[in-house]
Amino acid sequence: MLGHTKIKKGLPASKEDALAQDVVHDRRDAGSAAFLSADYRGLRPSLSVSPGDRVRVGDIVFTDRKHPEVAFAASLAGRVASIDYGARRTLSALVIEVDSGEQADDSSDSEEFGDPDNGGVRRTLLKRGFWPAFLTRPFGRIPKPDSVPAAIFVNATQASLHAPAPSVVLEHQKEKFQKGVDLLTYLTDGPIYVCQAPQDTLCTFSERVKGAFFSGTPASGLSGTHIDQLHPVSLERQVWSIGYQDVAAIGHLFLTGHYQPNRVFSISGPCSAEPKLIRTCLGAGISQICNGEVTIRNGRHRARLLSGDAVTGWESAYIGRYHQQITILDAPPEKGFWHWMSRPSAAYGALIPTAALERALAIDVLPVPLMRALSVGDSAAAERLGCLALVEEDVAALTKLCTSGADYGMLLRDVLDDLAGETV
Amino acid sequence: MIVRPVLFPSLGVGGVSLLQGVALLPPLALSVFERGSGQVVLLAVALVTAVFWDLVFASVRKHRFYFHGITTAVIVAVLVPSALPWWQLALSLSLGCVLGEHIFGGRGFGFLSPAAICLSLLLLSFPQVQLEPLSQSVALATLPGVLLLLVTGLISGRVMLGALAVIGGLAFSANPEVDLIALVVPTLFGLVFLTCDPVSAASTKSGRWIYGLLAGLLISIFSKDVATITSAGIIFGSLTASVFAPLIDHLMVLAHAKRRQMRQRARQPNV
Repeated sequence: MLGHTKIKKGLPASKEDALAQDVVHDRRDAGSAAFLSADYRGLRPSLSVSPGDRVRVGDIVFTDRKHPEVAFAASLAGRVASIDYGARRTLSALVIEVDSGEQADDSSDSEEFGDPDNGGVRRTLLKRGFWPAFLTRPFGRIPKPDSVPAAIFVNATQASLHAPAPSVVLEHQKEKFQKGVDLLTYLTDGPIYVCQAPQDTLCTFSERVKGAFFSGTPASGLSGTHIDQLHPVSLERQVWSIGYQDVAAIGHLFLTGHYQPNRVFSISGPCSAEPKLIRTCLGAGISQICNGEVTIRNGRHRARLLSGDAVTGWESAYIGRYHQQITILDAPPEKGFWHWMSRPSAAYGALIPTAALERALAIDVLPVPLMRALSVGDSAAAERLGCLALVEEDVAALTKLCTSGADYGMLLRDVLDDLAGETV
Repeated sequence: MIVRPVLFPSLGVGGVSLLQGVALLPPLALSVFERGSGQVVLLAVALVTAVFWDLVFASVRKHRFYFHGITTAVIVAVLVPSALPWWQLALSLSLGCVLGEHIFGGRGFGFLSPAAICLSLLLLSFPQVQLEPLSQSVALATLPGVLLLLVTGLISGRVMLGALAVIGGLAFSANPEVDLIALVVPTLFGLVFLTCDPVSAASTKSGRWIYGLLAGLLISIFSKDVATITSAGIIFGSLTASVFAPLIDHLMVLAHAKRRQMRQRARQPNV
């Protein structure tokens, strides 16, 4: 068991009321669910279904054309409504809509999972669509099917009072979570770090399964912060991260044989009628879920529905694969004094290195030199500064604070793609 | 603790100038009140000149027009003597705005403070100009602005503390009898708006300490003697220190990369 780290850097939490964590509302009315390019950037799918096909929960919808072992499973029973491609036949959006027919059962079968010591766990996770739950660091991509990480980080922290509390979500799933964590040890020879809030004990620790405790600003809920504290990465030393709900779903799969498509999400934000926890499927349509959850304030005509939190999230029609929050915000002002005060949106403004930027990153990287390197696309300088420790969500605070209006997440992704290309 | 995101979530460059302008209001009001109509004329000349160049560059470059120049004009107007001929002010301010800011692309794209450039050009070109020391009341009126800029995270307390420590330390070592409060308070205005200007100061954490110490040292050297800090000393000291700011930042980046590498090796016992 490792010590407790209090993260003091990063943006402070917003001041709105915390949400009631005691009840989880079941929402089965998500009319549709989608796989989006925002989560799987550059993924070229090799489809197993065509538009109009009926799919069951857990059915494989497509695989990665580069790595055919990596499968993606449907989280909703219904018909494939649309498949859209982006540039170079990459996936843009694949939408599954609930149809009026009777709900089909999920694709459970009582198969054998194989010898866990002999790659059985890995094969099952690949085949049943759990591989995309892992993200590599550096680069923040879905790992290659045969790669072995130096460590796996389970993120079971609660970034802010507006995110679901892991102790509540896992309350009746402790056994599944424990099973999931134990299974992760078959994927690596290194340690499994279970990062959690100091008051929680979500699983039992052992020589391989280590507990690490984090509290503080919302940045304490980012995997990048945990990894930088416990196991700094480099090009040669890759680690994986995974969310705690995915770990519990893996445990569920191995204990029952069923694909568990549902996750707990929070709905919060200044414009939410009543902040609450809901349980719905992965990639659910946000507008259906938020029906009746929005209150418009300040005489504005609309609100913004964000997948993710107010800092790292983005406007989306469907919940992102790696998000646990839906945030409802005021629409930005369209004219008047506050509009004039805010940043220009068309052209980049100047980067004024204010003192506030100094504390914006919870990871040991110098913010202003990094921002300068990213804004000119200098990959070598960014690597020297430590950008391999970062993914988009880690630098969202810089985007929020910088006067220039540049999207540092996007700039970082360009640099990371450049660096990844050099090593492949 | 960063307060700014709670107050102003996405502040543009215009917002930064506005906050700076708000911080400048009390010292400006007091200096106009104390020095009367001569000061009003100079302020008007400075504002017209600065806004003129803002307008010229906004229209030539087809940028959105901002009033950034106003803060430069106000800083200069507070520091210059009220007997200064208006054309000397207009000339030096034009050079300051254009050379310090507009030729780089506007506020925030340069690396020097336009006000410091304007004032140092004024002092070098017209040696008969003698800057008057700021009155105690103008200096005290700067304090609310200092607090505002520190709390909103626009200027760095490290730069300020570093500079004040060196100025105070040198004065004390030269003359242990020195009245530190009387020495330090009149320097506040120049320190906040020239030395601590985020555009021209160093931008890394440890770099800001070093930059602050260097600025304090240079200010003491450029002043009449270390026990009497002059406005001219602050202007030349800040300008010289800000020339070194990019170098300081570069060295800090190298040191940080080295430290990161060592830390990574330390955490890698078995691999």
